[in-house]
Formats: sequence, structure tokens, C-alpha cells
Amino acid sequence: MRHASFIARTVFVHNNDVEAACRILNRILGREDILDQFRRTRFFEKPFQFRRRINFERCKAIYNEDMDRKIQFVLRKNRTDPYPGSS
Amino acid sequence: MLRNQLHVIVKDLLCIDKSICNNIRNITVSAQRCRDVVDRKEMLRSLPAADEGAAGEKAVDVDASIQKRIDTFPTADTPNKLFKGIPFKDLPIFNIRVSPNNTIINFTDAKGFPKLIRSCGIEGFKNTRKGTNIAAQATAITIGTYTTANVLIRCSKRGIKTVRVRVQGLGPGRMSSIKGLQMAGLEIVSITDNTKVSWNPPRPRKQKKL
Repeated sequence: MRHASFIARTVFVHNNDVEAACRILNRILGREDILDQFRRTRFFEKPFQFRRRINFERCKAIYNEDMDRKIQFVLRKNRTDPYPGSS
Repeated sequence: MLRNQLHVIVKDLLCIDKSICNNIRNITVSAQRCRDVVDRKEMLRSLPAADEGAAGEKAVDVDASIQKRIDTFPTADTPNKLFKGIPFKDLPIFNIRVSPNNTIINFTDAKGFPKLIRSCGIEGFKNTRKGTNIAAQATAITIGTYTTANVLIRCSKRGIKTVRVRVQGLGPGRMSSIKGLQMAGLEIVSITDNTKVSWNPPRPRKQKKL
């Protein structure tokens, strides 16, 4: 999909701090999976590699989901005794 | 006599001891070397990762600052916003094409007509030296001084100070070339990423054998 040039994927530089602007841009590109996709498409990904990567990502997503739930459970705040067992 | 003989025997024993120790040490060293050569993958893994100019890609601390800053990103009326009296859409552009082996910097006017071109190869860096951040920075400083200079260089004098930058690709020159432009005295208004990424590309070339 084409986007307007100098509107999409653009970051303004504040106080001549080029490095900070670059970091923000790179962070966004990294988070949106653009850089990873770029690296992945430099060379042909063989079917076995594709399968392995997809399976790994699937497992990772399941693990992350469970871990997030666990963390949310530990950090939950609406309790009558906020720190059970500590008094 | 006896004492002398004892002395000699003790000396001999010490010599034997030393030689055994040395031998053992030698064996271990050679074994380590062999392992390094045999397991190439391990050696490659132990090497430092190549600089791709993507610093901050995995930095989580940047996320908070992205949320805070509102004027970091362009809006619908950005094209008409004035920078040193020039609207954003009329600012000249520096196109930087980065690859692992070279960096090409192209200076164009606001409409995209090329005015100057400079690459690490033209700059005098050859072969592997082209693909370094130092080469990219030197190239950027050269082309930057061409554009900022108020004297006649390359058929015209420009005296341009305010520019926008467009980067394409990943490589060691990604960050350093932008820094080089800044060192040449240019004021960079914005940085745009123009890396061509496709989610259904034609079949790429086969992987390199390592």
C-alpha cells in the first residue's frame, strides 16, 4: 500500500537531536514488524524455515498471553486486603 | 658425593615436571583452537552483530516518549508549515540509500529532480571499506558541504541550510550518514524512512552459504 510521502514514516527533529529522532523512527519500524519483514525478504525463506518460524511464533504468543495474565493476576489491585499474607 | 647426586636427581625431576606441565598446557590450547575452527556456527554467533543503523529498534524506553510528544509526527497541515520561511513541501531532499556494502546520497530539489550524487565508492573508499559507517559519514560531510557552501562548486552555488532526509534500507551508513549531514552544517527538519518492504514479494535470491 502506498502512503503519502513525507507524511508516513516521518519523524521531526527537535533541537537538532538527530539521534533521538532516529531512535523513535527505528523503534516504530521495529514495533510494526517492518524491519523484520525487510530482513526476512532479503533471502528466500525455505519452507522448513517458514514452518519452524511460524510454529515458534505461535508458541511464543501463547506463552506471552499466559504470562501477561499471570502478571495481571499478581498485580491486581481491587482486593479487600491489598497485600494478603503480609500483615 | 651423595648430596651432590641427590641434587642432580631433584633437578632432573623438576625438569621432567615442567616439561609435563608444558605439554599438558599445549594440548589444551590446541584442543580449543580445533573446536573453534570446527564449529563455525558457534564462532559466527560469538561475533558482534553487524551495525545496521537500526539503533533503538528494541528499546522499550522510547515507547513512553513517543506517547508524550505530539509535535514529533506530521499532521495534515504539515506540508504548509514554515521552516526558516520555507514551507515543508518546498524543502530540498536528501535521499540516502543504504545497503550493507555501500551508501549512496542523492541531493534533489523539492520536486525530486536530482542535483548532486555522491557515494562511498566515489568518495574513494573501495571494496569492504565502502560498507562502513566512517565511509558513510565522510561521504555525507562532503555532499553536505557542497550544498551548504556559498561559493561556486559543481556548476552552481547553493547555500542551502534546511533540508529533509529520506532513508532507504538498512546498513552501517544509516545513522552515521544522517549525522554526517548534520556535521556539515545542515539543519535536518525531518527524517523519513522509505525502505521498500513487501509482504508478498517475488521470490528473493537464495540464502548465502556460511
